[in-house]
Amino acid sequence: MSTCIETKEVSKIFGGLTAVNAVDVVVPENIIASIIGPNGAGKTTLFNCISGYYTPEHGQIEFYGMPIQGQPTYAVATMGIARTYQNIRLFGDMTAIENIMVGQYPRFKASWVDAVLSTRRERDEEKQSIQESSRLLKFVGLEGLGDNLARNLPYGAQRRLEIARALANKPRLLLLDEPTAGMNPQETGNMTHFIRNLRDELGITILLIEHDMRVVMDISDQITVLDYGTKIAEGKPKSIQSNQKVIEAYLGPDVTSLTKKYQLRKKQRYDVKS
Amino acid sequence: MRSSAVDKGLRTGVVFGIIIVTMFLIGFTVTGAELVGKILGTPSSSPSLLFFSIFMILVGAWAGASASARPLVEVDTWKRALTTGVWAGAMSGLFSAVIGFLFGELISNKIDPRTYLPSVSPESIKMFLFNQTPLTGSLILFSMLTVSGLAAAALSFFVRNNDSVKSSKRKASESVWSVIRSQRVSNVVQNKYTRYGSLLAFAILLIILPRVWGGYWNYVLGTVGIYIILGLGINIITGWAGQLVIGYVAFFAVGAYTFALLTAPEPHHLMMNFWIALGLGVLAAGISGLLIGLPILNLRGDYLAIVTLGFAEIIRILLKSDLMTAYTAGPRGIRDIAGPTIFGKPFNSDVDFMYLIIIAVLVVTFLANRLQNSRTGKAWYAINLDETVARATGINTFASKLLALSLSAAVAGLAGVLFASRNQFTGPDDHALMVSINVLCLVIVGGIGNIPGIFLGAFVLKGLPEVLRETESYRLLIFGVLLIVMMRLRPEGFLPAKRPELEKPAVQNLPGKEG
Amino acid sequence: MFWGLPQHLLWQSPHLLKRRQYFMDKPTSTSAQVRLRLERYIRTFAGIVIGVFLLWRVYNVIVLQHNFGADTWVRFGLAGLILGGMYALIAIGYTLVYGIMFMINFAHGEVMMLGAFGGFFTFEALRFIHAPTLANPELNFLNAHPFVSVLLAFLVGISVSATTGYFLERIAYRPLRKAPRLILLITAIGASIFLQNLAMLLFGPQRKNVVNPDILDRGAGWILKVSGNDVLISYTGIFSLVLSTLLMIGLYNLVQRTKLGRAMRAVASDRNTASLMGVDVDSVISKTFMISGALAGAAGVMWDIHMGLVNHYTGFLPGIKAFTAAVMGGIGNIPGAMLGGMLLGVIEAIGPAALGIDFQLKDVIAFSILVLVLIVRPSGILGEKLSEEKL
Repeated sequence: MSTCIETKEVSKIFGGLTAVNAVDVVVPENIIASIIGPNGAGKTTLFNCISGYYTPEHGQIEFYGMPIQGQPTYAVATMGIARTYQNIRLFGDMTAIENIMVGQYPRFKASWVDAVLSTRRERDEEKQSIQESSRLLKFVGLEGLGDNLARNLPYGAQRRLEIARALANKPRLLLLDEPTAGMNPQETGNMTHFIRNLRDELGITILLIEHDMRVVMDISDQITVLDYGTKIAEGKPKSIQSNQKVIEAYLGPDVTSLTKKYQLRKKQRYDVKS
Repeated sequence: MRSSAVDKGLRTGVVFGIIIVTMFLIGFTVTGAELVGKILGTPSSSPSLLFFSIFMILVGAWAGASASARPLVEVDTWKRALTTGVWAGAMSGLFSAVIGFLFGELISNKIDPRTYLPSVSPESIKMFLFNQTPLTGSLILFSMLTVSGLAAAALSFFVRNNDSVKSSKRKASESVWSVIRSQRVSNVVQNKYTRYGSLLAFAILLIILPRVWGGYWNYVLGTVGIYIILGLGINIITGWAGQLVIGYVAFFAVGAYTFALLTAPEPHHLMMNFWIALGLGVLAAGISGLLIGLPILNLRGDYLAIVTLGFAEIIRILLKSDLMTAYTAGPRGIRDIAGPTIFGKPFNSDVDFMYLIIIAVLVVTFLANRLQNSRTGKAWYAINLDETVARATGINTFASKLLALSLSAAVAGLAGVLFASRNQFTGPDDHALMVSINVLCLVIVGGIGNIPGIFLGAFVLKGLPEVLRETESYRLLIFGVLLIVMMRLRPEGFLPAKRPELEKPAVQNLPGKEG
Repeated sequence: MFWGLPQHLLWQSPHLLKRRQYFMDKPTSTSAQVRLRLERYIRTFAGIVIGVFLLWRVYNVIVLQHNFGADTWVRFGLAGLILGGMYALIAIGYTLVYGIMFMINFAHGEVMMLGAFGGFFTFEALRFIHAPTLANPELNFLNAHPFVSVLLAFLVGISVSATTGYFLERIAYRPLRKAPRLILLITAIGASIFLQNLAMLLFGPQRKNVVNPDILDRGAGWILKVSGNDVLISYTGIFSLVLSTLLMIGLYNLVQRTKLGRAMRAVASDRNTASLMGVDVDSVISKTFMISGALAGAAGVMWDIHMGLVNHYTGFLPGIKAFTAAVMGGIGNIPGAMLGGMLLGVIEAIGPAALGIDFQLKDVIAFSILVLVLIVRPSGILGEKLSEEKL
């Protein structure tokens, strides 16, 4: 099982602020890996480093063994890494199906000359593009909504459209930034199932930033925890759940003493009762 | 305590009062009267008082109608409508009366305002006062505006609220819509034969009309055609790719001057064939777009716009300077530029040139249409909407923008060649910033990013002023107002761009066995 | 329910099973980096070539050909400083508006032009008021009370410009507060065209002669002897220079020390938070426009007094040059605008002579600086790098 993506001591520094501090993450292919941590821990910054929006000051990022740190975003996308955004960034004034077709951009070859001369390549690719996009629309459950402007779609549909646009690139690695934000439990359940399916049916590796712990614990094969830019824990969901450092990161440093006090109180009451 | 209806009326009245005073001071009152006369079909060189009265009544009516427009919060009553209308009319009347009186007194004391206000001629003052004494004239103005304001307010209220009017309006629109939507009409429209037939009829018109309507129309519509080409060109970089390029005229200049220098007897006496020179002109413009684009296309929107303005001005000043006269003929411009020839025979009568322009417009429209919904075109629009995300989807935004700019520049070059060839002359003053502003205006007003919109914009902004010759000196003023108003009310233009419907036809055509 | 997940493979392409072929292409990881580095090399190289060329020209003209004596340089330098002071005032206006609203107020040059007209009309009006004295029965007000007249002219000019700025903001810009920047720029262009043409239609296209009070006669001043020749230090020039310096100092104090200045800086920094802290954002923005207009109006009246000619087009070139100056100094940075203005004035005055080119091409220098600054260093001399957007 080859390593899909690996960050080697990646650091991203903004002026005086170290947003990501020597983070090592190894993600084998075809799994769902989550990155969690309190707000401001550097998760989205790490995503941005991977997708090429930022160039890390130190460290390397390797995608299937190839170094990609410092590459421009479009090159990274062409290599097969796609992402979604925390606050949905669709092309609002384009229709839904056009959004997906833009996502397919790196995979097709027709140039402007082809367009003007209406060559066979252009026509074939156009047809193929529309067909694939329609199928993707159906895949994410937006069949029939393809000709609506993206900004007119309801929130849940927009989230799914964004994922469809990412999938249009046929990525090997999919970066999902808080995909269940703003969803009710049922929608969250659907999304969870969907993400699992992406891994199983399509063989995509998924890197997930998520705040909903139930989702994280449910589908992750591997969890990395960041706090103030540093990796403080990594492992399977079970071990992360009971990891002291993780709990303290989320709930504060006094939590251990509080837990002890609580447990002591509980024991006392139990003793009193009996 | 003043009621809010009075307030509204007064405020609207003040605004319209200022508008009327300004119109008077720039001489538009005279022009307005002329326009009214023209619209009514009796073109007379000296506008009569009747037309002026009609003009003022119309302005007063507008004041009254907009003051009494349906209120957002309050209740729409007779009383409110009439109050707002009368106060609006009265206020604008007051402004007009005062100004009229003042200027009337001035000319009765033999002071000519034209030393400081050249548009305010004694004749215009007399007309403003209905050829009466200042006192009488201003009183007439006041009453005329008040009454028309009141009447318009009442009329608009009536039209808004009267049930029989509303129901007949509704019935009329329903019947029109039912006809439009009816099956028979849509059958006719979609019928293959109707389509080909109308296309054929249109083509025949395009061939016959230039021969028939005379040199004046060929010239005017030829200019419209050139501006359509310019509009389509700037549409690529500004409408689709979203990069505002104020200095677009630079590419126009490159095309025109390249062509001129290659075909004119001086200063270089190259005397190239028209068609070769045309090709070279377009190519030169495209290359200039590429070169200019390289250093600037990663700049932010407003900076990019200003940089292009800088380039355009540098080019213009250099063309005009004596320094470059050896190469570019300096401020005098280049004369005797070649006209088109077909197989050696001259093709440059105005009819022939019109055909040339028509063909050019068709070619560029075809090009634009093909590009619009292609992969490249979608990439451009994606860059326009959200460049960062476009980049993240795998589009090399810099290369894409560079392509857009080069193509835009090449199209501008084509327009430049046609322009220079038609006038058989070009000079630095043909390539001032105003050309850019004109083109921007027509694209913005007509409809950013879509082809029919550009046609509309070109006809309205270039054709209409020709027809309405009287407004020539006010053209730019109206442009400025149009830009401000359009950006506020309807930034997408009169004919907003519509995205294509892709899923529906694809689904209809797919075989039914999709799971 | 689920989203209609098909149980068969989504894409019917066989590649899916063959992972290796799933890759788009095998990009050389260095290609993009190589391109970026190449770009940087080209830029530096071009910069060096241009710099060397310019220096060579200057050396040629000044040292070798020695066409101009030291007196010419002093003359040009002084003219440049005077002009620069006016540019600086207009540039501050651009920078203030940009800092607070992130828009380029393209119509700012026209604001200056209207202020210039205000001053002109004041002078004209005062010229026709008779104020006869025993000594001089033909005296007019302008010459009888020159200081009052000049003061009045400035007041009128400043008021006209400030009012124009205010209405510009209220009518054209405020409704578009949340619109994308390009729409604002187009509106500003529209406003500029409108004001320019309004002035042309109202006052006529001819350039008007501004008649100064006699004591401020344009040809009068102190004479300085430099290398054997006379250099005129005109009264009007010194007046403009002193006044612009005073105004710049005043504005700097206003922005740094007063409550309004603090509010302006707060709104420029973070509009929403300033509003949450109780700052009336609308009022602050209005006042900013008025102040920027006032400065431009002062520059306009100075232009009247020193240059002596005014028409509807007077604001266009100084407007663009002042914008260049603002960008050169770092847009959004007030000392930068001042520095940029003075620098640009001097460069523009000395440039054509120093480079040995025609005076016709004086404007090319300004535009070239504009283009170069925007390409090479858009953050300007004193400016900070623009912050990146949040992803």
